[in-house]
Amino acid sequence: MHRFVRPLMLRDSKQRLLPTAGQLCTKNKSVVFSARGYVVLPPTNDEEEKAMLHRMMRVDHAGEYGANRIYAGQMAVLGRTQISPLIQEMWDQEKQHLCKFNEILAENRVRPTILLPLWHIAGFALGAGSALLGKEGAMACTVAVEESISEHYNSQIRTLMEKDPEKYTELLQLIKELRDDEMEHLDTGLEHDAESVPGYQLMKAIIQAGCKAAICVSEHL
Amino acid sequence: MAALIRGLRAGRALRGLSSVAVRGILSPQCSNVRRGFHRAVLLRLASDAKSDTSVPPPSYHEAHTAGESSSSTQGESTEEPQPNTSFQDQSGEHGEDYETEEQLQARILTAALEFVPQHGWTVETIAAGAETLGLSSASTGLFNNGAGDLVLHFIAQCNTQLAETLAEQNNQIQLGQAESKKTAEFLKDAVETRLRMLIPYIDTWPQAMSILLLPHNIPDSLKHLSTMVDDIWYYAGDRSTDVNWYTRRAALTGIYNTTELVMVQDSSPDFEETWAFLDNRIKDVVNMANTAKQVQATGEAVVQGLMGAAITLKNLTGMNQRR
Repeated sequence: MHRFVRPLMLRDSKQRLLPTAGQLCTKNKSVVFSARGYVVLPPTNDEEEKAMLHRMMRVDHAGEYGANRIYAGQMAVLGRTQISPLIQEMWDQEKQHLCKFNEILAENRVRPTILLPLWHIAGFALGAGSALLGKEGAMACTVAVEESISEHYNSQIRTLMEKDPEKYTELLQLIKELRDDEMEHLDTGLEHDAESVPGYQLMKAIIQAGCKAAICVSEHL
Repeated sequence: MAALIRGLRAGRALRGLSSVAVRGILSPQCSNVRRGFHRAVLLRLASDAKSDTSVPPPSYHEAHTAGESSSSTQGESTEEPQPNTSFQDQSGEHGEDYETEEQLQARILTAALEFVPQHGWTVETIAAGAETLGLSSASTGLFNNGAGDLVLHFIAQCNTQLAETLAEQNNQIQLGQAESKKTAEFLKDAVETRLRMLIPYIDTWPQAMSILLLPHNIPDSLKHLSTMVDDIWYYAGDRSTDVNWYTRRAALTGIYNTTELVMVQDSSPDFEETWAFLDNRIKDVVNMANTAKQVQATGEAVVQGLMGAAITLKNLTGMNQRR
């Protein structure tokens, strides 16, 4: 019996209609909740600070959404090969991250970026395109993207530490955990012969430039 | 008395100056300086009133005596007839109950609202409001945007009221004291509540709408509109974090704007036609959303069918065999 490979569509998670701040996804085994409950962003009355925090959450949400779509694209092409369990595992972790950000955005009434449909398509295209170069291509794409994202999280951590580490404890903890997960993916990619793809440096440079542009744009739009 | 007239003249001159400046592009320092001037004018007027030995006009006299009585009751809880009036506090301009300029502006504009049916959304209304507070009509110089400030203040006030009402309803639902409404009904009630706040001013509302459409007012009016629509959807239970966030708010903005337009030319008793129109528009949007869902489901089913057909073909032609 032969199964046909169909691209796994990422459905929108079902939203509860009551405004109670309930848990929308409970699979966050990698993220520790603080004793204060589920509040990650500190409440603030300062408009500028609120705008900065919202921008950070917006771009992080867009990043996880894009990463999700990249893995979906890779699975669509390489779903029946040996590397597929590994990609699936990394994809599941990204799904958890996205779930967490969906929660944060909903709780704090943060506007998601309007470019989400664009990242929906572009992420899938990037993942599928790199996977067509074979397993090494997929790994190289993973390495490039995860390096960009880790770099981005690191700069956010630096910004928050400079401002007020005490106030942003939970947020810093969350971003650090996410960054550690992404670096783990990065190492996995390197272990699995990412660098052996022809044109690795060029591919990496192009993908990272694209990621930087995407981050810049998603912050504001 | 002479000092008063001098003060009034100074105020008028400054107002003239400021209106010239408004035509150009203002830098923040410039507007701060002007505000400082205006505050100085008001302070001077007040201090003239205090130090004047001859009989001042009644409005200043009232304010003056109120100020005196409040400063004489030191250490007592604040039970003044008027809220804190810093420029009459004997302990100095920067006493503990110093009122900020924004608060003063808000008070003037709120007082001005009762004169809107008479004078419309104009600077005269603001002047009338200022006079009820015992201030000179020159204090309209505080408002760079004139009537625009009044309209924006009013809609900000309405939106705050709406948010409070929705929050209160939400509390009731949380406490189990009320039933939660379906989305369509909730939206209808929220928009109706908000539009009913316009009823006292409905005759002059077209003028207000045209003021809001002036280019320099558009950013602020859009901001108020988007905040209101976001509030309504939040309390309706929308927690989406994808493109639905945008489509829902766009739909509600459209509904609100068209219903507002219908309302200003509606002459039926208690605006029945407006609420009927609102009901129909919300039904339309709900129908569209349902149709979109159906189309998507059908599309997915069709794709599955096609894939199945393709596999069958491959099987029939023997292309699926592993060699």
